[in-house]
Amino acid sequence: MDQHERRGLWLMAAPFVLGVTVLVVMPAVGSFAMAVYEWDLVRPPRFVGLDNLRELLDDPVFRISLRNSLLYAAVAVPLRLLCALGLALLLYGHSRLHAAGRVAVLVPTVIPDVVYALVWLWILNPIYGPLNLVLGAAGLPTPSWLSQPGPARWAVVLMGVFQLGEAFLIVVAVRRLVPEELQEIAAMSGAGRWGRLVRVTLPIMAPALLLVAMRDTIVSLQSTFLPALIVTAGGPPPYATTYLPLFAYRNGFEYLRYGYASATTVVMLVLTASILWLLYRAFGRWSRRAWERA
Amino acid sequence: MTRRRRSPIALVLVLLSVAAGCDAGPEDEVTRITVMVSGDPEEIDAYRAVVTAFERSQNVVDAQLLPFADRDDLIVRLSTSIAGGQPPDLFLMNYRYYAQFAARDALEPVDSYLRMSDAFSAEDFFETSMTPFRWQGEQMCLPQNVSSLVVYYNADRFVQAGLPLPAEGWTWDDMVRSARALTIDDDGDATPDVYGLGVDPEIIRLAPFIWSNGGALVDDQAAPTRFAFDAPALSAMQRFLDLRSVDRVTPSDEEAEAEDAESRFLNGRLGMLMESRRVVPAFRTISSFQWDVAPLPILSEQVSVLHADAYCITAGSDAKEASWRFIEFALGPEGQRITAEAGRTVPSLRSIADSDAFLEPASPPLHSEVFLDQIPRLLAVPVVSTWAEIEDVANGIIEEAYYGGGRALEVAVELTIQTENLFARAER
Repeated sequence: MDQHERRGLWLMAAPFVLGVTVLVVMPAVGSFAMAVYEWDLVRPPRFVGLDNLRELLDDPVFRISLRNSLLYAAVAVPLRLLCALGLALLLYGHSRLHAAGRVAVLVPTVIPDVVYALVWLWILNPIYGPLNLVLGAAGLPTPSWLSQPGPARWAVVLMGVFQLGEAFLIVVAVRRLVPEELQEIAAMSGAGRWGRLVRVTLPIMAPALLLVAMRDTIVSLQSTFLPALIVTAGGPPPYATTYLPLFAYRNGFEYLRYGYASATTVVMLVLTASILWLLYRAFGRWSRRAWERA
Repeated sequence: MTRRRRSPIALVLVLLSVAAGCDAGPEDEVTRITVMVSGDPEEIDAYRAVVTAFERSQNVVDAQLLPFADRDDLIVRLSTSIAGGQPPDLFLMNYRYYAQFAARDALEPVDSYLRMSDAFSAEDFFETSMTPFRWQGEQMCLPQNVSSLVVYYNADRFVQAGLPLPAEGWTWDDMVRSARALTIDDDGDATPDVYGLGVDPEIIRLAPFIWSNGGALVDDQAAPTRFAFDAPALSAMQRFLDLRSVDRVTPSDEEAEAEDAESRFLNGRLGMLMESRRVVPAFRTISSFQWDVAPLPILSEQVSVLHADAYCITAGSDAKEASWRFIEFALGPEGQRITAEAGRTVPSLRSIADSDAFLEPASPPLHSEVFLDQIPRLLAVPVVSTWAEIEDVANGIIEEAYYGGGRALEVAVELTIQTENLFARAER
């Protein structure tokens, strides 16, 4: 790559780098700074050192929110990844039917989040909602989605599962990069559909799947905000679906405790980084080996 | 190089802006103010009518209404705009929530404006509605209403069931008896289609019954340090919790999630509803049955809880005089008449509260005087800077116990423990 090409790449990346710096890096640095202050954004900030973090550790609502967020990520990330992979393998083809299927998978992701949440508020209505009407007609149990802790947590997961469009697109693109020749060679060697999937397709896709899993982990720790705010209101009471983003939002914007809320976001950042590191440590080498073997 | 021709649309826009500029003389003298309010569409319509009438009444202040669906949204927008250095000039807020802004010096005291006002004086307002808006000796906001918790009832259902209509002096047992008779399973599926009573399981609904039973809510009303539920308070709390788990006269958790009590009442499937004056504009759309209001039932004495909202001027407003001018209109006879006639408020201005605008409007409720009769018996929850947080925590615990068959003693212990640090952090 000569200097001219390099400059061109930098120019193309510049708007994104600028956006990330202004909209992500600077607020993140600001959050770290605010986390050591008691600040309501009205009176001058007061330095409190690590008091906010200490208070968080003693705060039962924070502990519940943390547990809820971790549980959500543990359930939603594998589920979303499996669904994205399954749908991509089903719909990566070039026919019109495949294209229509891809559009259908993408639609929930491109709907504005608030509208999406309001639609689910209707879908999950325990008596008049279509989901329970269908379940009831099929003779299945009709959970109280909004008034029992377990069903409410599953409802938030369900809302997240349908918004897998971005991961789905990446997996479709990667699936299309798998050379058909390799599939044919494997078939000639006697491998069936399952064998080709396990020994050829998935190993080649492994690095991309790891990337999608890491990205989905980041998203899942943030994406609970609107469903929890609009659909379940953080309940059923007291805090069944209060996740870290909602906890931070309420403390910051409703109770004017921006320093405390910032300390929460710092914990979220550290938590996200730790999970990503663990994921990379656990699956990074595996995905490289799988790729090399394939 | 040739210049591109300007488009005709751009030219028209330029000409229009020049024409507007030529007429900018009087425009320059107009002061613009922003007014934040929250409420249902019907409530917002009432505030919009006040703003429209204000603008018609003068030509030097231009008021822009910023409506929000609920108080949480309003608080978020208010706090961020104060932090961003561009606060609204005015906002309307309940006495339970303004203290967090007063404690942070974000409000402009109105005593000096009130003293100089030709429109009204402090004595023209009900003292009950003024007191909670006094913060550390200063009048921080000026109340627009002096509402309270009452019982709305479907008169047709009472008549059909042969029940006496709720009236002054009726007791808790009378209410439960009526609620039982009005809870009806029409189709025999073991789930009532009509419930006798609707009440939100919240501290603001529970409090008046604790007081009515001679109990206490907190250890010190003026400077509370914790919830302090005594024996009468626990007894009242248990009876409140029993409404769902023992008497079974209110909708279940699932039914309440599916349809709120206000909607049930509107649809004629609720015999009674405990609410403030807030719901009257919506209830005036009811045409299929007769409804009215009654005082809260008594446990030991007649008490209710204050619901009052007030206009507050932000300390950061650069149009305080203009904002006060709006307050003088909105809380003066004309503004209060508009909101009273819309049904939204129990006027805080005595002269309008005692006038036909409130007492004998063409629309229901027939017995609006119930709200006025309650005024001497109204009590307020404590005014502390962390009350919004305390309510959120308390409401979660009460709701869980209400639908889960919880016992009052356990609820009281939980409430006391969970809110201890919030009282400790409170400014008074």
